Amino acid sequence: MSVADVVVVGAGAAGSAMAWRLASRGLDVVCLEQGGWVDTYDSVPHQKPTWELSRQTSHHPSPNVRKAVEDYPVNEDHTPIKLLMYNAVGGSTIHWGAHFPRFHPSDFKVRTLDGVADDWPITYEDLEPYYDLNDQIMGVCGLSGDPANPPRSPRPLPPLPIGKGGDRMARAFDDLGWHWWPVDAAIATQDYDGRSACNNCGPCDLGCPLKSRASTDVTYWPKALAAGARLVTHARVRKVTLDNRGRASGVVWVDPDGVEHHEKSKVVVLAGNGVGTARLLLLSVQAGHPDGLANSSGQVGRNLMHHPTGMVTGVFDEPLDGFKGPFAVSIYSQEFYETQAEHPFVRGFQMQLIRSDGPLGTALGGYLPRVPWGDEHHTKFEDWFGRTANLTVTTEDLPNPDNRVTLDDELVDSSGIAAPNISYEVSDNTWAMLDWGAQRARQAFEAAGAEAILQQRLIAGAGFHLLGTARMGDDPATSVVDQWCRAHDAPNLLIVDGSVFVTAAALNPTSTIQAIALRAADHLADSNDTEVAWN
Amino acid sequence: MELTESQSRLLRAALTGLLPGNDAWPAAGELGVEERIAELADLDPDHPAALGTFLDGLPDGFAELAAAGRHDALKAMEFDEPDAFGVVMVLAYNAYYTHPEVLAVVSERTGYAARAPQPEGYELDPFDESILATVRQREPLWRQV
Repeated sequence: MSVADVVVVGAGAAGSAMAWRLASRGLDVVCLEQGGWVDTYDSVPHQKPTWELSRQTSHHPSPNVRKAVEDYPVNEDHTPIKLLMYNAVGGSTIHWGAHFPRFHPSDFKVRTLDGVADDWPITYEDLEPYYDLNDQIMGVCGLSGDPANPPRSPRPLPPLPIGKGGDRMARAFDDLGWHWWPVDAAIATQDYDGRSACNNCGPCDLGCPLKSRASTDVTYWPKALAAGARLVTHARVRKVTLDNRGRASGVVWVDPDGVEHHEKSKVVVLAGNGVGTARLLLLSVQAGHPDGLANSSGQVGRNLMHHPTGMVTGVFDEPLDGFKGPFAVSIYSQEFYETQAEHPFVRGFQMQLIRSDGPLGTALGGYLPRVPWGDEHHTKFEDWFGRTANLTVTTEDLPNPDNRVTLDDELVDSSGIAAPNISYEVSDNTWAMLDWGAQRARQAFEAAGAEAILQQRLIAGAGFHLLGTARMGDDPATSVVDQWCRAHDAPNLLIVDGSVFVTAAALNPTSTIQAIALRAADHLADSNDTEVAWN
Repeated sequence: MELTESQSRLLRAALTGLLPGNDAWPAAGELGVEERIAELADLDPDHPAALGTFLDGLPDGFAELAAAGRHDALKAMEFDEPDAFGVVMVLAYNAYYTHPEVLAVVSERTGYAARAPQPEGYELDPFDESILATVRQREPLWRQV
């Protein structure tokens, strides 16, 4: 049997970047993905008048609702935040909103600066060249010059239209003397690298027939395959194997017929997200590793972080046409992002303007509370539909070892493999941030002249960022991987997804996940024979 | 799932209680969406049972009640069987807001184009950088490390 240089588990944001970079550096790369290619281009739900129904069923972001054979269920009985993820070539970028911020330099030094959690073993400057490279591949739009962030390279594409709601809120932020800026988004605002310019249709999460909204099946994967990477779909990995020296030797995967295969490799890279990767490590119990692989620190599965998110909605006296434009991306304020002594919490949050829903989404609630049934239904619907703008309060979630992923005793996926079980609580610091942040969002809507302001303290369906369950660090006693994403327990086992985050920042993580993966790929490709047995 | 004639009649009455009509909007029970709701329920293995629980839980003579009586019965159901009620409410909203007649009213009343977002998309004015004049005056507010 042939032995690949590298097997990558997961074809999402991180796995695709890793596969492309390593294949481009001349390595023999095989990627195993439990999902398949998804047609989000020729036939998307939002080409039909009933498009909003698909969000309740086939295109629901929760695997527990979607229940596709490629998905694995998640026990969410002990968490107030429900998980969103997708299993396919492109991973969760298939369903995302494409907000693409970078972490701040301070996000990597939270212990030094604020006395909480831990510093990362890497800095913003370490990642900066990889942020830039990634922005080019993903086709990022935006505008450099934001005073809330370090100077950055010119954006590959100009910013998105911010719409009437964005315009109104931008002026309100100005009136309050607060920061705001147009977002960086992985959306092509002009034709770019074979992708067409966005036509502002709105529901990016349902797929993009124009390929303007980036997902890695249209950005990284064509380049990775052209560079020689091999991609095996519908391949569900259930175990990482070790050789007799305790080094990773490959993975065992199951095909849709239940037949097991052993893919041997010199290096194993895990990129299955902060829940999937922890699950796989815990499943990889074997001689000498009774608590799972790479887990001598006991940290695998612990410190699960999300971005607990509250939502405040302003109802205005005029149509804002919020259903026009990419739903998740317009402008943001980082006025309260950095720790400030006068705040009743440590660390900070971002307020991000979200556009509004279609008719069914508005009626069902989501950003807004559900439109009540009965006699007042139509009046409320007309008051709200198309006349709202929404500000998230997206908070930093500090690591807590009791927030964790374990293996469920009963729940299994379609291959009979134990499903993950999530135990998670929102911290007091986060609640303080959510409540204080909601007051600031209300203040912004008052300044903007909103007629009514509605508030949801915590959005249950905001488990879209899965971080921290195989944390990075210099000390093998307290962390799972080193700064190059190599497991302390097995240096030829790498983890490159959000699992390795030491802290979560208060920002969407995909650009940072991909920058970390690209940096790890370069280091791996540069490694000599002592570190990795290439020959 | 297949609805019996009696179930269809009950559901029709319940729909009109949930989403009543007025001068502008059709009542959900007048749209003939009962079968559509049964089809939608079949998309989730748990929903047919929830719909059954909802219909079984309505009081005798529900369909003959006046509007106020239906409202009270639905309120009681919402309290007694919140899960089943929630499922039916979602099914009702799903059927209502994807019905062409309702989308035409949405369009007429709000200016929303009652069509799929693609392939036309929407026109929006491009971003005008002049709006950044104030915020560009800010000193850097990120922390140097």
